[in-house]
Amino acid sequence: MVSRRVLLAAAASLPAFGFGDASRFIPAVVKHGGKWDLRTSGLRRLAWELQRRTSVEVLLEARPMTLDHPRLLEHPFLYLSSDGDFPPFSQAEVENLRRYLTFGGFLFCDANDGSDGAGFDAAIRRELARVLPQSPLTVLPSTHVIFKSFFLIDSAPGRFLNKPSLEACLVNKRAAVVYSQNDVLGALNRDESGTWEFEPSPGGARQREYATRLALNLAMYALCLDYKDDAVHLPVIMNRRR
Amino acid sequence: MESIDTWKLVSLSPHPLLVVVALSVALVFGVGLACWGVRRESSPRRRWLLWTLRVLAGLCAFFFLVEPGLRRLQVARVKNRVAVLVDRSGSMNFPVEPRGVTRNEAVAKALEALAPQTDALKDRYAFETYGFDPELGATTVEGLRAQPPRSGRSDLFAALRAIKAGEGGGARKLAGVILFSDGADNADLASGLSGRPKQVLEQLGVPVTTVAVGKGGLTDLAIDAVRVDDFAFVRNSITAEVELHGRGFADQAVQVVLKREGQVVASKTATFTSNDETQTVKFTFTPDQTGRFVYTVSVPVYPEEVVAENNTRSFALKVIRDRVRVLLVSGRPSWDERFLRGVLRADANVELISFYILRNQLDDSGVSQGNEPRELSLIPFPREEIFQKKIDTFDVIIVLNFGHEDQGVSLAAFRNDIERYVRNGGAFAYLGGDRSFGEAQSSINPFDEVLPVTTAGTAELAPFVAKLTLQGATHPITALASGTVSSEAAWAAFPAIPGMNLTRPREGSTVLLTHPTAQVDGQPAPLLTISELGRGRTLAIGTDGTWYWAFPSHAGGGQGRNYERFWSNAIRWLVRDPDLTTLSVTADPSSVEPGKPVGVVVVARQPDYQPAPGAKVSVELIDADDGHVVAQQAGEAAADGTIRLEFPPPEPGAYKVVGRATKDDKPLGESSDAVAVRAVGPELADARVNAALLEDVAKATGGAFFDAPSFNLSDVPLREPPLVEVGRSKDQPLWDRWYWLSMLVVVVGLEWAVRRRFGYV
Repeated sequence: MVSRRVLLAAAASLPAFGFGDASRFIPAVVKHGGKWDLRTSGLRRLAWELQRRTSVEVLLEARPMTLDHPRLLEHPFLYLSSDGDFPPFSQAEVENLRRYLTFGGFLFCDANDGSDGAGFDAAIRRELARVLPQSPLTVLPSTHVIFKSFFLIDSAPGRFLNKPSLEACLVNKRAAVVYSQNDVLGALNRDESGTWEFEPSPGGARQREYATRLALNLAMYALCLDYKDDAVHLPVIMNRRR
Repeated sequence: MESIDTWKLVSLSPHPLLVVVALSVALVFGVGLACWGVRRESSPRRRWLLWTLRVLAGLCAFFFLVEPGLRRLQVARVKNRVAVLVDRSGSMNFPVEPRGVTRNEAVAKALEALAPQTDALKDRYAFETYGFDPELGATTVEGLRAQPPRSGRSDLFAALRAIKAGEGGGARKLAGVILFSDGADNADLASGLSGRPKQVLEQLGVPVTTVAVGKGGLTDLAIDAVRVDDFAFVRNSITAEVELHGRGFADQAVQVVLKREGQVVASKTATFTSNDETQTVKFTFTPDQTGRFVYTVSVPVYPEEVVAENNTRSFALKVIRDRVRVLLVSGRPSWDERFLRGVLRADANVELISFYILRNQLDDSGVSQGNEPRELSLIPFPREEIFQKKIDTFDVIIVLNFGHEDQGVSLAAFRNDIERYVRNGGAFAYLGGDRSFGEAQSSINPFDEVLPVTTAGTAELAPFVAKLTLQGATHPITALASGTVSSEAAWAAFPAIPGMNLTRPREGSTVLLTHPTAQVDGQPAPLLTISELGRGRTLAIGTDGTWYWAFPSHAGGGQGRNYERFWSNAIRWLVRDPDLTTLSVTADPSSVEPGKPVGVVVVARQPDYQPAPGAKVSVELIDADDGHVVAQQAGEAAADGTIRLEFPPPEPGAYKVVGRATKDDKPLGESSDAVAVRAVGPELADARVNAALLEDVAKATGGAFFDAPSFNLSDVPLREPPLVEVGRSKDQPLWDRWYWLSMLVVVVGLEWAVRRRFGYV
């Protein structure tokens, strides 16, 4: 068994940017007018867990990007969150995000405040309605490939367990936007002293592990799409789910 | 013509018919009035007496009005025609029985034997002898012997319709048809008498007497038919059903062999249980390459056989793709894999099977080992299944950045399987990255033998925009737009790729894209290199950053689909899509009857796929079994780049037609097709006598059937000849006799006396 310390050391020893780095998993976080940077530690943890648990090669540090950044499309995985409301996107941001999602980008929206009908929840629904008016948020069924892209999971916990499921905007049957009201990366966030910033409620450490698995599955889905829906996997997975 | 006397009753009245009719009507009216006048007579006896006398008087008056007479005539019976039809098809050269005379000679003898009987009927029937091949032509016994039958077609239905159609033109009516044939029809009645032909023959109006010529007992082995679809899907099994007819082969086993252009594909044994039996032998085989191929089914030729040529039968089979079956293997999840997967999944012509290494040996899933099967969705990487058992089921194998030294996923053990797969016609593509070539973890590259490049050092890190080479500017893989200039512009518009592996092209490979500045051995470092290996094709891209062509290329608002087009082109080139060639050669038709020329249509296109008018085209006809050139033709393409060439009829067998073209001394490529020239046509393929068909024809038309050429004409149903008036007629009056007049006077006088006696005026 490889220790956590060894893995962290190995990850830290990765070159800053070398050949093949552009193809690695590099989380990007959306800079907006609200509290956009509350989960950079969680994103780092997500990348680290991805490196530790899977064969995916990562760069740990998240790249802050505004939605109208000309290099936004070099980062196919995008994280958007806030604690509370955030100002509306500019028209250029709306159009660039629409292009990003249409041509293959993946956006994970995470309600850091666990809000429902107000705060971040109201703001993100408002903005997504502008970006993808033809693809409204819909509840993802538990049979969706996101729940089996690496770990077999049947719920969508985060720091909270407000909603048992995820919502998504589908573009050509692909979940281009996934939205959680449970603050998934809040469960992975550490403070400056290196301790967990939040205690997941109500499940504690066990819920944190499931939140980690959900976050990893989301990253795997962004990288592999519906790979685990291939015919070769289905019988095995169905058998394991029984 | 024999004359005889006969008579008939006629009216000799000099008045016109209209007058006679008018007077007759007036007479009936007068009798009616006379009867009406005594309707009040109280005594029924008197009334009936008066009515009887008045009607009798009216009848007498009518008799004298019509003036009947007897006309004496002299008549004669006209001769009718009897058409004797003789089958002149090639199968009439077969013997009637083993070591017997030919069927044609048997007919000649039968006609000689019938001569006395036809002479006896010559005053009533004119016997006319015709041969049909299948055109009708008058013939004689001497003519039958002088010219052996040689027609390649037996068409009994057409011959009968022709003889019936000729009836209207002659003065003599057709009294019947006597048909001599072996019944081996290979036209409308090939599958028996039914449907419209049966209806037509039933309404022919002429009895057709059929005479079967030939007996059973012949020794012959014939491949009657090969039932197989016109096309098959590559790497999918197809079944060819061979109908083998054995006559005189009871309790014998016969070896049936299926070959593809000289190479044995399969062989089977058929055992006959009787002396006249048809066996169906099924060959199920799996074509492993697209294109058109000639397959030949053959059985041995035995010395006692009647026909040797029907022991072989060839057919052309076009092998096409169903959906392109692509195996995508990725060393790890990456953005290159993600966007390539997106393209392949969206392509309706692609069936994608993918395996990604989601976890390495050192990775810790965070799940205790006992719970892993329950909590992880991972499955073992079925290397043996994919790269040994089922490798031949894939049209294309694409491997991404796979340089594992982990023994759990390494493919080093399958390098020979992969090489064999490619050499046998498979397609292989490799995309590099940080675990490939100079950056690979493993010292053994399992794909080394098949890749068109070798490692040339560590990676080039600087981002760059790929540059088309001279070959790439005209190659279908890199043709992203119509025309070289547009393609170059499309490649130049792609965003920079973040670095690439340094590789060196192998000898014989073609570099299509290069780094704009980095060099290997003094040449621009290759990015996209292709090659052919055996019958297969390979492609290598020295980067895992091709997804930059897919996603970041849309950053500036671009809507193009050049990444999709590039991969579509690459897949089509890898699987040798026929539409992706500049030269197309098609045998027309692909199966040629014996003695017919072999036609070939060539379509020449320029490197940008525009027609190549004036292209110099040469085509070789090559024996597919031994590879020697049988004939050669050349010509110049028309304005649409098309030309049709014809070869004189070659010997029966399987051939390849290989075409080459040049335009302005630049080669446009080479292409080939296959053509089967049959050994025998349908006429000689079958030596049997189809007596059942002849019997059915006789039944449908009201004729008789004889199973041998010896019969009596008296047993042949013929229509009777009609009678016609040939002499003068003589009229003899019947009305001008005294007793007829006396009867009239007596009846009228009696009526007057009775009327007066009863008190009428």
